Amino acid sequence: MTTRFETEQKSGLLQRILTALPYVVLTISIVPIIIGFVWIIVATFSYRTQGILPINAQGKIGGLTLQNWTFLLDAKIWRVTFNSAMIALGMVVGVGFLSSLTGYALSRMNFRGRKTFLGMTLVLHAFRPELLLIAIFQVLLFIAGIPIAGKAFGFNTVGGVAIVMVSLELPLGIWLMKGFFDNISWDMERAALIDGASRFRVWWEIILPQIKPGIAALAIFNFISGWNAYLIPYTFTIGTKVSNLSVFLNQFSSDTSPMGWNQVAAVGLFQLIPILIFFIFTQEALLNIYGGGTKGGA
Amino acid sequence: MTPATLLVTVFFFVPALILFILSLTDLASSNFSEPWHFIGLLNYQRMFSDRFFPKILGNTIRYVTLTLIFFNVGLALLLALLTSYINRRAGFFFRMLWLLPRITPSVVYIVMWRRMVQQAPFGIINQFLGWFGLSQQPHLLNEHPWLFVILANGFVGASFGMLIFSSAIESIPKDLFTAAKVDGASTLQIIRDITLPMLRWPLLFVTSYQTLSLLVSFEYILLLTNGGPGLFTTEVWALTSYKRALSTYFGTNQWGYGAAWGLVLVVIAITASVIYLRVFRFDDLVQEPKIDVL
Amino acid sequence: MKVELTNLTKRWGDVVGAEGIDLSTKDGEFVAFLGPSGCGKTTTLLMIAGIYKPTVGEILFDDRVVNTVPPKDRNIGMVFQSYALYPHMTVFQNIGYPLKLQKVPKDELQKHVQRVADMMGIGHLMDRKPAQLSGGQQQRVALGRALIKEPQLLLFDEPLSNLDARLRLSMRSEIKRLQMDLGITSIYVTHDQIEAMTMADRVAVMKDGHLQAFAPPDELYDHPKTLFIAGFVGNPPMNFIEVEVKQENGSYQVLGPGIHLDLPADRGEKVARSSKVIMGIRPEDISLADTGVKGEVYLIEPLGRDDLLDVRIGETAVRVLADPALGVRMRDTVTLHFNTDTAQLFDPDTEQSLLW
Ligand SMILES: Nc1ncnc2c1ncn2[C@@H]1O[C@H](COP(=O)(O)OP(=O)(O)O)[C@@H](O)[C@H]1O
Ligand SMILES: [Mg+2]
Repeated sequence: MTTRFETEQKSGLLQRILTALPYVVLTISIVPIIIGFVWIIVATFSYRTQGILPINAQGKIGGLTLQNWTFLLDAKIWRVTFNSAMIALGMVVGVGFLSSLTGYALSRMNFRGRKTFLGMTLVLHAFRPELLLIAIFQVLLFIAGIPIAGKAFGFNTVGGVAIVMVSLELPLGIWLMKGFFDNISWDMERAALIDGASRFRVWWEIILPQIKPGIAALAIFNFISGWNAYLIPYTFTIGTKVSNLSVFLNQFSSDTSPMGWNQVAAVGLFQLIPILIFFIFTQEALLNIYGGGTKGGA
Repeated sequence: MTPATLLVTVFFFVPALILFILSLTDLASSNFSEPWHFIGLLNYQRMFSDRFFPKILGNTIRYVTLTLIFFNVGLALLLALLTSYINRRAGFFFRMLWLLPRITPSVVYIVMWRRMVQQAPFGIINQFLGWFGLSQQPHLLNEHPWLFVILANGFVGASFGMLIFSSAIESIPKDLFTAAKVDGASTLQIIRDITLPMLRWPLLFVTSYQTLSLLVSFEYILLLTNGGPGLFTTEVWALTSYKRALSTYFGTNQWGYGAAWGLVLVVIAITASVIYLRVFRFDDLVQEPKIDVL
Repeated sequence: MKVELTNLTKRWGDVVGAEGIDLSTKDGEFVAFLGPSGCGKTTTLLMIAGIYKPTVGEILFDDRVVNTVPPKDRNIGMVFQSYALYPHMTVFQNIGYPLKLQKVPKDELQKHVQRVADMMGIGHLMDRKPAQLSGGQQQRVALGRALIKEPQLLLFDEPLSNLDARLRLSMRSEIKRLQMDLGITSIYVTHDQIEAMTMADRVAVMKDGHLQAFAPPDELYDHPKTLFIAGFVGNPPMNFIEVEVKQENGSYQVLGPGIHLDLPADRGEKVARSSKVIMGIRPEDISLADTGVKGEVYLIEPLGRDDLLDVRIGETAVRVLADPALGVRMRDTVTLHFNTDTAQLFDPDTEQSLLW
């Protein structure tokens, strides 16, 4: 960056220290995180660990093994992985579709109630929904009582968890999408209308292709929140059939569980893998959405 | 549009209303099958006269202010300054690393912290202490619960401010720095006289936004200490509300009582969001459509 | 197709976009909307296109009110200043988009697009994306897209203002040529008076949302109805001098500080009652002579064929076109002859012409 300045008077050594100092501070500050990740990877492949060192049965360094991964043979893990994937995909598709349509309408169309809806989105996107879980619990109990919808979206269903998560994420999604749409040239949309397209067609054929990077970023963001979700699945489901990876993992990581730390680490790494893959391939998009996400993508 | 409205109504407005109504009832799992009653403000009376009310209030204030000052704003600002100061690619790399805790599943992240703080020879921190010849500690989490509650939250929380501040720093016109340099200002002077004043609004924004987030968040505490060790040591307001109503921790789900705790926060949160949206002029971001036809 | 606007008005709250526009074109006519930026040209054009709903007033196409007809059913083509090409589509897809929306069969669409692209001289660029084209080429794609559905009305919103000077000149004649060949009624918005004057059959001059005049170019030039039009049309712009007009035994005189001129009787008669007036006189109607008004040369701007002199007569500054061969230099004292046969006279309060 350009905020670097060399001052002539300073001696070469002092200068070099000053240049290196930020790197040193940054590296030290990040150490706990790195160590955490090192531990989880080492632990996954070892018989036991002491600190971050792998230990064999004799108490010496060593004892690398794959036995911690035997959990993959258990059908339960695939059940909860499937549920996690469904919640994540539900978030990607549900929030993506609904917020790109609603965001478009709010950004670009004149209709009655637009102002009110915008104001609502604005307040809700800043509002944290954790507080409403108690009441949402009652809503889900109520939905569970409805004949057909209850089986799909009621209390203690994967659908219920997904739909709650989609709803709670919607205001942020709509606000972000609106920000993306705001930046699109009006003339282009006018041109398409004159060329003979309907509003829906303009949205689909002309506008959406322009904001592909934004949609992708939102999709990644939603996938990660869905895949990682803990609190909502934990609160609204009972038992492995409908719970997800996070809940499953937490159950077995509690101190009373028979599962050893190393198996816990293996399950944890298993859950981390898709996240890390996203992380590696979509860094720029992630930085943008986690940073700009709240100030309206504008 | 319509489905979005429906979902937002069903899962925001209806719940907010239900929460309010619940807080006036004695609804609980222990008497779920019996008819429940409106009991007026009894839940609120009970809440304020709770023996642990001052403790929980104090915990909440401590949790929010310390995490905010040291991490979500303090460390965030330091990281933003440092990563902007160094080589662009390196800065980007460090910011990416700092994003890791945020995108790691909360359960996995807390498992890492739990392993960090265990007693020797398993705990990672104790192992490092040993390597450096320092005396090893007993179970650190039980000894210093607040330290680790704040660390665990802070390592996640710092990245938000860091990203906001860095993009604000990058949008400061470069001419300003050049001019200051020509005038002979030192790096520290430049930070004090140019960078920080330009960051006034981002600072205020991050502070208010993160205050609200911290006030209502409890997931990491739930996973790390569940409010313990012992009685209410690290229990914060939002966690109390959640546990009273939705966990079997107290033997029974007291929906009505938990709702009363929750509603106080909901009112604070909504008021605060409305105020800060005003202050930060979010409505300026709202432009009028420039096409009349539908 | 004929276009008629009656009392056409667009407001957003207190903001006035266009106010009470009355105007009607002939079939096949090339009309220019001329005015400074922000005067409501685009607003009016977008109402004609159906993008904006008029607050008040009507739009008629061939005597049919089209206020509620959506843009896609108005059978118009439009070219935007920003070109507004679809960046994710190729040139072929851009030009063919209107036909695709009309569900024209593939092979027919192919033929049509090729023909239009060839006509625009971009037939060889079909597979490029807009970002890979030069400004001029993008402009041609935009034109092609506007023309392909053979519209009955063409709308242009400052189509040349993003091009460099040379290209602007050649595109100007090309568009004019194309319009004449195709005979499509066209409305062309511009803030460049040369474009308007050279291309249009009639020019609508706009100011602050109002229509100031609607007339053929030479009429605007010779008989400007308002001070604004006189100042806006013509390059270099007309000089305005505050003077008094006096009548002495049948002949009319113009008097100002350091200025004393004869005024032809046909003009003088019309100002008999208001003695204080603003006189407008074009730089080409002032020449260097042996007798006349004395002034000092303050600045010389060589324009190539002519020199533009800024001459000070006391406090008054006038622009004069002079032959460079005369060798005038700065600070020289010169004598000016004013050709008052073409002088314009305006009421200083209403800024309306006293002559027309
Ligand atoms: N969509 C709109 N909303 C509010 N005001 C507008 C809008 N479009 C144009 N205006 C205002 O109307 C006036 C005329 O604008 P415009 O027609 O674009 O001028 P021109 O094209 O002649 O430069 C300007 O003052 C402009 O600010
Ligand atoms: Mg315009």
